[in-house]
Amino acid sequence: MRISYNWLKEYIDINLSPEQLAERFTMAGLEVDEIVYRGDDLQNVVVAEIKSAERVENSDHLTLCRVYDGSELLQIVCGAPNVTVGRKVALAKIGAKLPGGVKIKKAKLAGIESFGMLCSSAELGIDPEGTAGIWLLNDDLPLGIELSDALGLKDAVIVVELTPNRNDCLGMINVAHEAAALSDVRVKLPRPQYRESGGEVAQQAAIDVENSSLCPRYIGRLVKNITVGKSPAWMQQYLLASGMRPINGVVDISNFVMLETGQPLHFFDYDKLAGHKIIVRQALSGETMQTLDGKQRQLLGEEILICDGEKPVCIAGVMGGSDTEVTESTKSVLIESACFAQVPIRRASRRLGIPSEASLRFEKGVDIEGCEFASRRAVQLLCEFCGGEAARGSIDVRIAPTPTKKVKLRQKKVNQVLGTSFTQTEITEVICALGFPIEMVSDCLQVEVPTYRQDITFEIDLIEEIARIKGYDNIPITIPASAAQGRRTPQQQLIRKINQLIRTHGLIETINYSFISNKEAERLQLPTNHAWHKGLAILNPINEEQSVMRQSLLPGLLHCLTRNLNRRNDNCAIYELGKVFIPQAKADQPDEVMTLCCVLCGQAPSYWKNGGEEYDYFYLKGIIEDLLTAVGVNNAAFVRAKYSFLHPGRSAAVLVGGQEIGYIGELHPQVVANYQADGAVIAAELDLRPLLALAELLPKGEELPRYPAVNRDIALIGDNSIAAAEIEQEILRLGGKDLQEARLFDLYEGAPIEAGQRSLAYSLLFQSKQRTLTDSEIDAAFARIVAGVADKWGLKLR
Amino acid sequence: MLNKLASLKEEAVAAVVDCADLEQLQEIKIAYLGKKGTITTIAKMMGGLSAQERPKLGAALNQTKQTVEKAVGQRLMQLQAAGLTSRLAAETIDISLPGKSFVQGNQHILSRVVEEIEDIFLGMGYSIAEGPEVELDYYNFEALNLPPEHPARDMQDSFYFGESLLLRTQTSPVQVRTMEQLRPQLPVKVICPGRVYRRDDDATHSPMFHQVEGLLVDNDVSFADLKGTLLVFARRMFGEEREIRLRPSYFPFTEPSAEVDVSCFVCGGKGCRLCKGSGWIEILGSGMVHPKVLSASGYDPEQVNGFAFGMGVERVAMLKYAINDIRLLFDNDLRFISQF
Repeated sequence: MRISYNWLKEYIDINLSPEQLAERFTMAGLEVDEIVYRGDDLQNVVVAEIKSAERVENSDHLTLCRVYDGSELLQIVCGAPNVTVGRKVALAKIGAKLPGGVKIKKAKLAGIESFGMLCSSAELGIDPEGTAGIWLLNDDLPLGIELSDALGLKDAVIVVELTPNRNDCLGMINVAHEAAALSDVRVKLPRPQYRESGGEVAQQAAIDVENSSLCPRYIGRLVKNITVGKSPAWMQQYLLASGMRPINGVVDISNFVMLETGQPLHFFDYDKLAGHKIIVRQALSGETMQTLDGKQRQLLGEEILICDGEKPVCIAGVMGGSDTEVTESTKSVLIESACFAQVPIRRASRRLGIPSEASLRFEKGVDIEGCEFASRRAVQLLCEFCGGEAARGSIDVRIAPTPTKKVKLRQKKVNQVLGTSFTQTEITEVICALGFPIEMVSDCLQVEVPTYRQDITFEIDLIEEIARIKGYDNIPITIPASAAQGRRTPQQQLIRKINQLIRTHGLIETINYSFISNKEAERLQLPTNHAWHKGLAILNPINEEQSVMRQSLLPGLLHCLTRNLNRRNDNCAIYELGKVFIPQAKADQPDEVMTLCCVLCGQAPSYWKNGGEEYDYFYLKGIIEDLLTAVGVNNAAFVRAKYSFLHPGRSAAVLVGGQEIGYIGELHPQVVANYQADGAVIAAELDLRPLLALAELLPKGEELPRYPAVNRDIALIGDNSIAAAEIEQEILRLGGKDLQEARLFDLYEGAPIEAGQRSLAYSLLFQSKQRTLTDSEIDAAFARIVAGVADKWGLKLR
Repeated sequence: MLNKLASLKEEAVAAVVDCADLEQLQEIKIAYLGKKGTITTIAKMMGGLSAQERPKLGAALNQTKQTVEKAVGQRLMQLQAAGLTSRLAAETIDISLPGKSFVQGNQHILSRVVEEIEDIFLGMGYSIAEGPEVELDYYNFEALNLPPEHPARDMQDSFYFGESLLLRTQTSPVQVRTMEQLRPQLPVKVICPGRVYRRDDDATHSPMFHQVEGLLVDNDVSFADLKGTLLVFARRMFGEEREIRLRPSYFPFTEPSAEVDVSCFVCGGKGCRLCKGSGWIEILGSGMVHPKVLSASGYDPEQVNGFAFGMGVERVAMLKYAINDIRLLFDNDLRFISQF
């Protein structure tokens, strides 16, 4: 809302500067975006009259004018096509400065001296889209005075961003109520008084509202014998300050009253209304009408239509029709001042793409009791400035008036909610400053809420009024007395721990969108019946790449990887810890599952002594093993499994307690290509729920061994298809309870070992909790192992 | 014999002193004091001597042996010390070569800021509550006093899965869920961090972003308490010299509502580019929990009050860490996200 300071002064004797008022507005909840100063940049531009004009020889467009500024006659050469003798114009004298930095100097055009310039409204920065040619001013302006004074151009426009609850401030009078409360002055309301003549409106027109829920109130008034001219200069300035263009005297009045009261009006050319009749009804699906912008509009059936006796003449609240539009030749005007249902207006203006000042106000809801005042104000102005004659009375079709809203306001509650100690008198003063009538009912304030304040219904709404008019700065600062202990839950702590552990292993955290493309399952070459093809789909995605809720973090990380590779970030170790969304057959809401995904590509950070190390399966497996150990998992296993998106020979399912919680592996080369990445990409993804279930697990201290440990190494040669982990398990089983550990320390393939065979060397640790082990016991265990693995797989001691 | 012994002593000591290294020293030691050494050989001849001669020669022999052994011992120490010095010299390394780095990963700046916010409120006694991101219309809107047909519920602004299922547009539904879970317990004192989604995508908006919501409901909670709480937060987050300013605003689920500004931490309130000359930077929205929201969540607004506040994590991160484009936060360029 653009609030003209000059206009506001019509209603209140304001004692604050525009800047002070703007500050009060902001601190009372009408947030000021900016103050726009008008007219300040015009200097030495005065009102003058064109006394004579003759065409300049040898020029097709220049006119030589003699212009009188009240004291002298000046010779001006002008290029505009609309130079009119006898009209008053804006004269920029020598030395004048115009907006945009133009300085007027003595000039010579076509060899003729010119002592100034006649200006267009655009050149004066008053109406940037103004019509071509010089600005022809109203004849009633006094000669010689500064244009900005003559037109009341010097103004400060306070531009306010209204919150949705304060749509009352879309009318200047209600803004005045607000300003009055903030500066402790009274509002002077305009009195729309006029003389009525001729017959009753009801005798000359008929209004039929078919559905009062679409149109709770419709007032019609009739003004005859008008002359469509120009609106007065002050009104034009107020319109311009408010961001609207003056059109003609009649249309301007309609807009002026809307800006003044917040109530949009529509003027019909009474003589063009078939049957002098208004019917308000819901549009029919498929119906069409031509709006005044000349377009044929197709209607859906949800719009509210205003029709005359024959046809639709207006899409209510949105746009009028061309048939009954007010034109230069209009003689009589039927004024519509109505209240329409908000939702159909919003839908229609959105759908048809024609938001306007009027539809904006209807969408937000107008004051049903304000229709009357606005309609009378329009009649008064039409009589005063367009020479109209008001027909008697009005037609008022409406639902029953709602009873006056009375809201109680308890001092105790005010202070309880705000933490203040306002007295009853202070509270009463605020309510009075707002202009709300009050009475005391058994020690309790009863506040009568004016109909224009639709945001006030409950006591809390009045408490808010007290708080904001008193000023939030005047509310004390205290610390809540509420006692509570804050802590992260064990699960939240564990999530934090997992994050930290992954990071200390060198991975960088990324945050990717929760929605992914519906093509990802295909890119991962998943079979068509795979669940990842059927993610929860967004009905109105911004684009296809962000249209399905992710069931895996992998696609997001792969896109992230490719982006980084493309920018020559060659070595990437990234992860995300976040939710995936698994659709549920029996519920609307999906399961939101905390998931960890790691992706590695390129080389690990190298140490100059060792040289580079490519990220591979074992690098990431080590990280995952460390993670599982750190959170207390002691029953994890990695077993060979087939995933369409992983290298078949370099991938595994990760099991915890026999249950699959995720996968690890090198990406399938085709998938790497599908994501336009390059090289070996290693990935692992884990459902964290089984780990979070261990969050409250406490490690238990174990006594240190008291008897010496004995180390023996064993190297076994056998077929390289036998899994090392299985051999390790078998060694441990064969070794008996005193074999504490079998740790792989060497893997060798190549001569002299036959192709297809390999040597695995384990370091065995024997230790008893009860006693010192003897050599013969250890020898026996060693022999058991050798015999056992030879028996099972034919492994030979190296 | 005694003379021979005396010259042998001199000869041996001179050889010991002259010798160049440990190996030579060992040879000399063997040559004189070894089993077949010259001094040992003389000692072996003691048996053939008379009873008068024997003690004399014995004493001289002992003295010679001791002298030579002492000389050997001294020389040994000298040579060992010299050896250690030269070994250490040989072992010199270029200490300017780089060390072995155990390269750490990095936390995303948004996670870090969420943790900073969490830690501040944990310190004030708040717990952390979580809720679903795919949310029911009821929790996202209706229970928050946004009835159907409220403009903020426009299809244009939210991502929908069906008529009553959408991606939450704010963390506020967690308020309602938490109150429903805890009622009738008091106080309800939680913050709710998480992802939220709106249908916007430009230089200043991301379709996915993060919020942290705060809620305190108790018997005697006031707007003044809200001011105090936010002042503590602003100072912990942005510096102890910060002030806050509350401006009236409107949210359907709080009343009175306030936008909260913090005094500019670049210029200290004098006015600069960051605060657009105002000295203030808007950081969060807040207010007293609307009585309708308390009722919908099972608390009696006549008995209890509450305040709530919510902030955009991206905004806080961008302000505090001088990030000028929200898209950088989700682009995940490692060069960028490793800076924090």
